[in-house]
Amino acid sequence: MSTLTATGTRSAGAPDAAPAPALRARHRRNRLRVLLFLAPGLVGFAVFLVYPLVMTVWLSFTNSNMISPAQFVGLRNYRFMLDSDPQIWQAVRNTGWLVVIMVPAQVLFALGVAMVTARLKAGAGLFRTLFYLPALAPPVAATVAFVCMFNPSSGPVNQLLGLVGIHGPLWFDSPSWSKPALTLLALWGSGTVMVIFLAALLDVPAEQYEAAELDGANPWQRFRYVTLPAISPVVLFATVTGVIAGLQYFTQAMVAAQVANGNIQAAPGYPNGSTMTFPEELYTSGFNQFHAGYACALAVVLFLVSMAFTLVLLRRASGFNPQETQETPL
Amino acid sequence: MTSYAPASARAARSASPHRAARSRARRRRALVWVADHAVAVGLACAFVGPIVFVMLTSVMTDQQSLSSDLWPRHWQWSNYTTVFRTAPFGTWLINTVVYAVAATGAMLLSSIPIAYALARFRFRGRNAAFLAVITMMMLPPQVLVIPMYLMWARLHLTGTIWPLVIPSLFGDAFSVFLLRQFLLTIPEDYLNAARVDGCSELRVLTRVVLPMMRPAVVAVGLFAFFNAWNDYYGPLIYTGETPAHWTLALGLASFKTSHAVQWNLTMAATLIAMAPVIIVFFFAQKAFIEGVTLTGVKG
Amino acid sequence: MPGSQHRRGFHTARARRRSCAVALAAATALVASACSTGGGTSGPDTGAGDTSPVTITFWHGFSSPHEIASVGAVLALFHKKYPYITVKAVPAETDDKVNQAIRGGTAPDVDASFNAANVGGWCSSGAFLDLTADIQADHVDLGQIPKAVQSYTAFGGKRCTMPWLADTFGLYYNKKLFAAAGITAPPKTMSELAADARKLTVLNPDGSIKVAGFMPYLGAYEMLTEHLVTSWGGSWLKADGSSNVGTDPAFAAAMTWQKSLVDWFGAAKLAKFKAGMPDEFSAQNSFETGNLAMMVDGEWRTAFIKNDKSTVDYGTAPMPVADTMPQLYGSGYVGGNVIGIPRGSKHPDAAWKLVKFLTTDTEAVTTLADAIGNVPTTLPALDSPSLTLAQDPKFATFLDVFKNPHTSTTPASADGGAYLTNYGLFANKWQSGQIPDLQAGLKAVDRQNDAALKLGQ
Repeated sequence: MSTLTATGTRSAGAPDAAPAPALRARHRRNRLRVLLFLAPGLVGFAVFLVYPLVMTVWLSFTNSNMISPAQFVGLRNYRFMLDSDPQIWQAVRNTGWLVVIMVPAQVLFALGVAMVTARLKAGAGLFRTLFYLPALAPPVAATVAFVCMFNPSSGPVNQLLGLVGIHGPLWFDSPSWSKPALTLLALWGSGTVMVIFLAALLDVPAEQYEAAELDGANPWQRFRYVTLPAISPVVLFATVTGVIAGLQYFTQAMVAAQVANGNIQAAPGYPNGSTMTFPEELYTSGFNQFHAGYACALAVVLFLVSMAFTLVLLRRASGFNPQETQETPL
Repeated sequence: MTSYAPASARAARSASPHRAARSRARRRRALVWVADHAVAVGLACAFVGPIVFVMLTSVMTDQQSLSSDLWPRHWQWSNYTTVFRTAPFGTWLINTVVYAVAATGAMLLSSIPIAYALARFRFRGRNAAFLAVITMMMLPPQVLVIPMYLMWARLHLTGTIWPLVIPSLFGDAFSVFLLRQFLLTIPEDYLNAARVDGCSELRVLTRVVLPMMRPAVVAVGLFAFFNAWNDYYGPLIYTGETPAHWTLALGLASFKTSHAVQWNLTMAATLIAMAPVIIVFFFAQKAFIEGVTLTGVKG
Repeated sequence: MPGSQHRRGFHTARARRRSCAVALAAATALVASACSTGGGTSGPDTGAGDTSPVTITFWHGFSSPHEIASVGAVLALFHKKYPYITVKAVPAETDDKVNQAIRGGTAPDVDASFNAANVGGWCSSGAFLDLTADIQADHVDLGQIPKAVQSYTAFGGKRCTMPWLADTFGLYYNKKLFAAAGITAPPKTMSELAADARKLTVLNPDGSIKVAGFMPYLGAYEMLTEHLVTSWGGSWLKADGSSNVGTDPAFAAAMTWQKSLVDWFGAAKLAKFKAGMPDEFSAQNSFETGNLAMMVDGEWRTAFIKNDKSTVDYGTAPMPVADTMPQLYGSGYVGGNVIGIPRGSKHPDAAWKLVKFLTTDTEAVTTLADAIGNVPTTLPALDSPSLTLAQDPKFATFLDVFKNPHTSTTPASADGGAYLTNYGLFANKWQSGQIPDLQAGLKAVDRQNDAALKLGQ
């Protein structure tokens, strides 16, 4: 990124021994042009990524409270994280739960819905629209609606379950059901992934299915040997981006706790810290308590983990590999 | 069915198994059709149900919304005006529109040239630049929030929506990524034709490329708009201390507890936040779906 | 920001109730921010004797229309006394918001908070200015403030806030339901409370709760551990500021009492009942509608019952106390509203004049206390004949609790109230049966609290 020397011009293929003055001028023009087009991005990269990232790392070694000047405290914040923070392990477990259970559930559900939609002969477009619609609902609004629907006392969900003889759980008011309830909310809003899967499924050449059918493949075999290989890059993409979104999971957990609790006291992670996620812990430490330095230490951990997943994406998913982008000489 | 058709059985002996198989296949197809569509209808109910529930609850009385009745006994439409009287939803609505429009406009202005350069120019460091875009796209916003907050505080811009809008002027990673994916699909020949006519790159971009990438621009614009519209984290961090600068998402999240209202008003407020998104979606469905498809298809 | 308020106790919940008039608040905030970002229309303070016109901003948490008006009336008294100081009041503010404003450099000149638990964090982080020099310079007599109140408004030798009225907690009981159950007097011990709660409880045919005699489930309205442990005389912190909950037997006793009543109902049943309770500060409040026969609540409920035009026939009494500690009867939990000058105040001298006036001028204190139904925080105001509240016996209960020598509060701590957050989380897990060993659990809370205290240094 730092070396923005333009190498390619329309005559990039020409031997570059002793370039003519006109060519050199063109080189210069090209370099300038690249800089001009990229200028906002370069500024943004420096100001909104490099600078704050360096500062986050620095502040994680201080006792910053965002009010008085920060003092260097060595590894104290990291030590506190590892042995004393009463809430951090629960937050790690909660975020881990979301990544290990909610994200795969969302991917599988979206795949299932996409496969059903792909088979529809009538009204496929309408169904696709209806399935996608909830994905656009503002997360705060969707969460508020779900907490109301799943209210164990007045909500319709437990009432409907009661009609079929099921004694519904406490959902957002139960430490063991709050994350499953959030998962249902995530499934409801999984339309984006569904649309991506649907497009991939419709891209699988029909002849391949016909050939498989002629070979006597049963539906499972057709799925396993035709569909899956064809859509696996998209599944990987959806899974990794899902994992990264899972690591950032904040809004729904925070709003659900706040609305379900009713009484604002003890809201974060309500009930019993079961919805307290890692980023929420970071926010609380930095902005509600006076522990910005500690919040930065948590941020460094979050950064390392999400970068590890991004690396997986970069190495495995072709579209993210810059080497494979088409090189069009100007 | 064909097995007990004795009259024609002998005559049709040779053709019958064939026809039987075809008929069986047709019947199976019909059953599968019914099953598929039944599942789809079931799913549609599950997907649309919550929205219908919000609508119904939003016109109930206080008392009824505390019970488990599903159908409003008395349609209390005044809830919608009450919401605006109870909390400054009008102000929050305006703030949200301003934030969303400004952020989207700024994003398009900055991101299109960046995406164009990344997709179409050859220069040393291009791959690194692309990696930087991916990194920024995947980076949780929480990682940088403390230094960013301190930076905006030093500029005396906390408490306003500016810290949410200004970064869009410097390119949005997700939009750049998406636009770049689309630009790669435009055949180079079109551009070269324009270049041969002596157009500068800027003219090539504005006159040739931009019209061709309209669907992508619309999709990216819509995504950016709704990202801002739905954003809770950003306004929470930067406008928290000033309710006059809150957005709908922020106001809605605390509406029930801070205004001591029951579910009916809460659901009316919820629908107010949802409605614009739903309306725009029905008008711009195609662009949305194409945009989403673009996200994944290259992946 | 409102959502994030964790464990900010009743005061914050109350702040929320008071934001009925956020529309107004928002409009005022616009004006206020326009002024403060513009650098102020008034000249800078040059000294205490300077009487050139000055405008200061004042954030407070009151937000229901009659409360805003009452504050306005008191501010008018101030303006009459100091004509050159104009106060722009911004209602419906919360602690998170002022913390954010202090960090962002947009803090008001004066800020009032409903939550004394934050005082420790404010004093030790320097978020609020130390008022000691001003107090000495103006010869303000701190002796006119009750000792307990003095203690929760200062921390670590820094007096960074002054008390501005207080909230006191007691027992509210429904007289009609008492008569129906044959109960003649409010309970005085925790055993009596539990027995009465059982007698008063009515179940629906499906086994769910219709009327709860008492709601022992933590987090339901004002049922919080800090309001409960005063009945056992529990003290939260040791003299050195470290955590005391594992050592003081009051905490184990309180938790055991609470759990046994929870188990009598069934925790799941209570959680479901809680989920169905209408908003605490709405006119559908379960006590006001007769679905809750007894509850612990603050003195302000008397005013809400009046304003909501509730027909509930009720009485008030001090909280019952542990059977073994009858000497504690009459005491309770007190929580203070505090007022101070945030770091970044542009006119600290004028700001101090306002703080001094609001907290020590007897007329100012009694006027506001009467108008909004809160407890005054200076001895002269408490004894002032012009305090009309004292004549209402339902309110007088709370004045007596306030004056009781055993009445206590949650002390300020440098951890900014983290000890309460940690304990609240523990207590919630305890009541759901997630804590197998109570004593070990309490010891673990001690360790967590002490670690949190160290982090802030």
